[in-house]
Amino acid sequence: MLGCARLAILQQLEYRFNLIADTVIQPVIVGLVELTLWAAFFHSTGNQTLNGFSREYYLSYAVWAAFVSRISTSWMYESMMIEDIENGTVNSILVRPISFYEYYLGQFFGYKVFTTLLSLGAPVAVCLFADLPLVISRLPLTLGLVFFYLLLVHTMSVAIASLGFFFSRIHHITVAKNITLWMLTGELFPLDLAPEPFRSILIALPFSSAVYRPVGYLTGRLELNTITEGFLSISLGLLVATVVATALWNAGRRRYSGTGA
Amino acid sequence: MHPDVTREVTIETTGLSRSYETYKKPEGLLKSIEGFWKRETIQKVAVHPTTLTVYRGQIVGLVGSNGAGKTTLLKLLSGLIYPSAGTTKVLGYDPHERRPEFLRRVSILLGQKAQLWWDLAPADSYELLAKIYEIDSAVARSRVRELADLLACTEQLHVQLRRLSLGERMKMEIIGALLHRPEVLFLDEPTIGLDIIAQTKIREFLGEYVKVERPTVILTSHYMDDISLLADRLMLISHGKIVYDGTVEAFTAKSELRQTLSLKLVHPPMQDVTLRHDFKISAGTRSVRFEMPAQWIADVLGELMALSPVYDIKIEEVEFEDVIRSFMEQDARLRAAGHSPTA
Repeated sequence: MLGCARLAILQQLEYRFNLIADTVIQPVIVGLVELTLWAAFFHSTGNQTLNGFSREYYLSYAVWAAFVSRISTSWMYESMMIEDIENGTVNSILVRPISFYEYYLGQFFGYKVFTTLLSLGAPVAVCLFADLPLVISRLPLTLGLVFFYLLLVHTMSVAIASLGFFFSRIHHITVAKNITLWMLTGELFPLDLAPEPFRSILIALPFSSAVYRPVGYLTGRLELNTITEGFLSISLGLLVATVVATALWNAGRRRYSGTGA
Repeated sequence: MHPDVTREVTIETTGLSRSYETYKKPEGLLKSIEGFWKRETIQKVAVHPTTLTVYRGQIVGLVGSNGAGKTTLLKLLSGLIYPSAGTTKVLGYDPHERRPEFLRRVSILLGQKAQLWWDLAPADSYELLAKIYEIDSAVARSRVRELADLLACTEQLHVQLRRLSLGERMKMEIIGALLHRPEVLFLDEPTIGLDIIAQTKIREFLGEYVKVERPTVILTSHYMDDISLLADRLMLISHGKIVYDGTVEAFTAKSELRQTLSLKLVHPPMQDVTLRHDFKISAGTRSVRFEMPAQWIADVLGELMALSPVYDIKIEEVEFEDVIRSFMEQDARLRAAGHSPTA
């Protein structure tokens, strides 16, 4: 696993411009878009609070949502897994004493830890500079929850990639999944703003641990219980995803004809 | 059988077969739209029930035309794909179960597919492979040095794989495949697309390697030199069936032994002549060269000598490569005539 994590870091370092675009440019642009939206909302309504929280809470939420969602979303590795199965590159993993799950999990975590450390300074600096709400002592637990959530993300990615054994082209499933998660995670807006019963459902789902729970906790909007509930909810989601991913992988392997070699 | 080959069974299959489903891609826009809800599927048999035994230390050359089932058989034996029916044991394991203890003892090199990491220098890839195969890093480094010296590619170990030439890349792939000293080695077209110098180098290296390390090898190649120089057992596969299994020498002997008769006529004929078995000589021709089954030689030579005194007579055996080529051409003709492996 550590060897695979190292592989991911080596590969990232090989392409410096791409790495900067991924770790700095992309979250900065997303953050600016969300900041503008919230600033425009408060400016046009003339309100100083929304749902009991001030404008600053929402601006801080926007900054951290952009940063945390970059960690908790899987575009690149899911696409790589799909491509490997579609074009037969998976052969080079299947013939070696390492599982596909483990091989990509190592790389995925290596990449996420490395890029998180590289880009963490930016949102902290913005919050300190603009005096936005931030409880810095909560950062380790926040990141702990997000990285635990990555296990679920990865397992879902393996399940989706396994569909590549059955269908020739499935890239758009990743697009559809990530757009759905954009709303379900709370990246778009804090989930407690949704009307009931959607509010309770959205918060209960494990996906709220991708953005809403960690960012709410870090910015002081939510308390410790949200994190413990988050771990529990992810564990249940992980159980379901593991069953689905294992079934799809095993069935897919039986069909696989070793494409491309 | 090679003197170093023991009677210990390394690979054993019983009724091993593989078929897969594909669909007919219709032509044109309307048919493509129709294909959105209605697709005609076809069952293709890539490997018909195959029973074979390979002993420890044997080097088996697997030969067949494109689509004959060579690579599918290799993928079945290495555990890359599941069989549709039958059983396989390689070193006592079911390959498709992919047990780590099995995978640590075998290796497959796919000549048409890079298995090292494209963005990394081979040295970094080997370091990762050492971790995957649980090899001590100092031992792995020394093994890499040893193999790189033999392949004369030490200079390229620290160059990103994507920047290497095809021949250099193949050498790197070979090092990666041999790093963990596999007991069973599946080589699928290891010299494909390489220039003659690179081909020779890799062939020489593999020849030396198998002599020293004595792995069990199954080798597919389109270059008959690879087979005739490396293999001590030949398997011919056609339409997913093993149609010949024996030594290279026995195959050449068993095949309709063809010879080439060449000679010069002292008095070239004044007009076109047709000999027995429909061999033709044009008027004024002095040098004659015919390829024919060995048993015809005496008849044809007798006729030619009756026509004119002859000199510079040569009778040559046809090369192994030519015999295989003739087999593969015949196989391709059968395929074109509709004897497809479709079940």
